[in-house]
Amino acid sequence: MIESNYCSCRWLSGLVFKAFMSVFVGLSLLSQALADGSAVDKVYHPYVDALESEIEFRSLFQESSSGGKDFKQLHQVSFGRSFGQALFGEVYLVGERSRSGQFELEAFEFEVKWQLTEQGEYSADWGLLFEYEQEFNDDVQEFTTGILVEKEFGRFSGTANLLLIQEWGSAIKDEFETAVAMQARYRYSRAFEPGVELYAGQDSAGIGPVMMGSVSLGVRKTLRWEAGVIFGLGSDSPDNSFRFLLEYEF
Amino acid sequence: MKAVVHSASTSRKNREMKKYLLTPLKTLSAVAVLCFAIAAWAATPEIELIIKDHLFFPAILEIPAGQKVRVRIINQDPTPEEFESFELNREKLVIGNGQTVIFIGPLEPGEYPFFGEFYPKTAQGVVIVK
Repeated sequence: MIESNYCSCRWLSGLVFKAFMSVFVGLSLLSQALADGSAVDKVYHPYVDALESEIEFRSLFQESSSGGKDFKQLHQVSFGRSFGQALFGEVYLVGERSRSGQFELEAFEFEVKWQLTEQGEYSADWGLLFEYEQEFNDDVQEFTTGILVEKEFGRFSGTANLLLIQEWGSAIKDEFETAVAMQARYRYSRAFEPGVELYAGQDSAGIGPVMMGSVSLGVRKTLRWEAGVIFGLGSDSPDNSFRFLLEYEF
Repeated sequence: MKAVVHSASTSRKNREMKKYLLTPLKTLSAVAVLCFAIAAWAATPEIELIIKDHLFFPAILEIPAGQKVRVRIINQDPTPEEFESFELNREKLVIGNGQTVIFIGPLEPGEYPFFGEFYPKTAQGVVIVK
């Protein structure tokens, strides 16, 4: 009887996951018409490691053929640490350089990740992401709320981020946008995990191969890396986006 | 006109009846979902893994294939330790003299090594799935 109830609960949990993913795919198609700028960023996992701090550096290089968006570089450096077992806070500085301009600091960000469920407890693992961004030179502010979900399939892991973005300020049109990021990866080894990522936002969508991994540098000292090439989907998307991430966890 | 009034009154009564019927139904549904959740929590077998003197006890955990298991990790050392396993895709910190819970499985038959990240030379173990 208990086993039967257990199955029912797993069935319910699975149903919620499938319903969520259906909405997710629908919104990912819709979001191409809704969200601003490049959608390529990184895929967040819904987990928090207690008593952990990290320094992260990530870069995005975009290139387009004529008629596409300008060549652009986006660099972010951040410091983050966990608060208890379920919360992780991070502060970012964001810099940008376009083909015609100089590199300059663009914005700062505060970000909080909240792990909602214990890994492996339910049919999928859930988390929330909250992010506030303020530009330095223009009155542009942004608040992002994200749902993070991950599911294991043996050595494969599938992750999805559904983001709702509110933008406001005198230098920008007040609006809500959506964006989607998805990742499928194979946990081949600690140092090397190949995968595929898909991003969708306003005027930009892309898909491409990624690689990631981590190397232990001692007790609770880990260097994590990610690299990928995202090929643009549609004429408005950058042709190629190269993304890199280096993260020191301690 | 009377018929209309009568009809409206009957309709209102029906709606109220439905409301009263629905309220216990909703409560029952909520209780059922809660029961399922509790049953699911209770149905997952639990095993204990002790950390003492920077060693895992038992160092070999045997679990059945295709079965999810809740592992309660109890750290009897005053210093923190982290259960880590790439093969199990788990990483969980346990504070000194504290405890935590991880879920592993369902797994295919095989051996899945784990270690303590703070004392990796001594804190080692393996999950054997049969």
